[in-house]
Amino acid sequence: MINSFLSKDCTKAAVLFHSKKRILEYISQIAQQKLPDLSEQEILDSLLKREKLGSTGIGKGIAIPHGRLSNIDETVAILVVNAEPIAFDAIDDRPVDIFIALLVPDAQCQTHLKTLSAIADKLKDKQFCKKLRHAQSDQCLYDIMTL
Amino acid sequence: MRYQDTFLIENRLGLHARAASVLAQLAISFDAKVILQQGDKKAEADSVLALMLLEGAQGKQVKVTCSGPDAKLALKTIGELIADKFHEQE
Repeated sequence: MINSFLSKDCTKAAVLFHSKKRILEYISQIAQQKLPDLSEQEILDSLLKREKLGSTGIGKGIAIPHGRLSNIDETVAILVVNAEPIAFDAIDDRPVDIFIALLVPDAQCQTHLKTLSAIADKLKDKQFCKKLRHAQSDQCLYDIMTL
Repeated sequence: MRYQDTFLIENRLGLHARAASVLAQLAISFDAKVILQQGDKKAEADSVLALMLLEGAQGKQVKVTCSGPDAKLALKTIGELIADKFHEQE
């Protein structure tokens, strides 16, 4: 299920950014390669628009930044693990190091809930999150997330 | 004391990430244990991940069970949040 919306080239292990803004810019940059009809700025704007409604930091060091876009057909996910947790205004006030970003077709509801459920099913496991945090290569991170 | 009621999810996006976060933050603010049940799936309401696993879509009924000192107020307030479409416009 996860590999239906997450590809290897959108999976980045052990990166190092120091702010919410920088990590969202990086996510937008990766996403743009999958969504050539959109600019990085359009993608970033959709993510920032959502963050303004409330942080997507859902607790336990995890954030699900996401944006809804009217001109895409399928969900694109970007998984980034930062080498150090950064402040993200998460609901438990803990800094965040696991980012699973989603760019979602505007009209999508039921499928989006299934996407979130598939992600939650993986990330609910503390040991699984530990493995993600320790992944030293993009390939390793992708394998852990999709197997 | 234990209080329980069933509510209809009315917002278009259902129990998506933002709705789950708002609900979890509200649940945490009470001295009560709050459980949501939809079909055969159950979730502790203080966990966004657990709430996302419910796949609570628009039109689904969700059973909320609260126990502990603040149970009655927690059930009332959470029921109002769900009925108010998690403060969403549609």
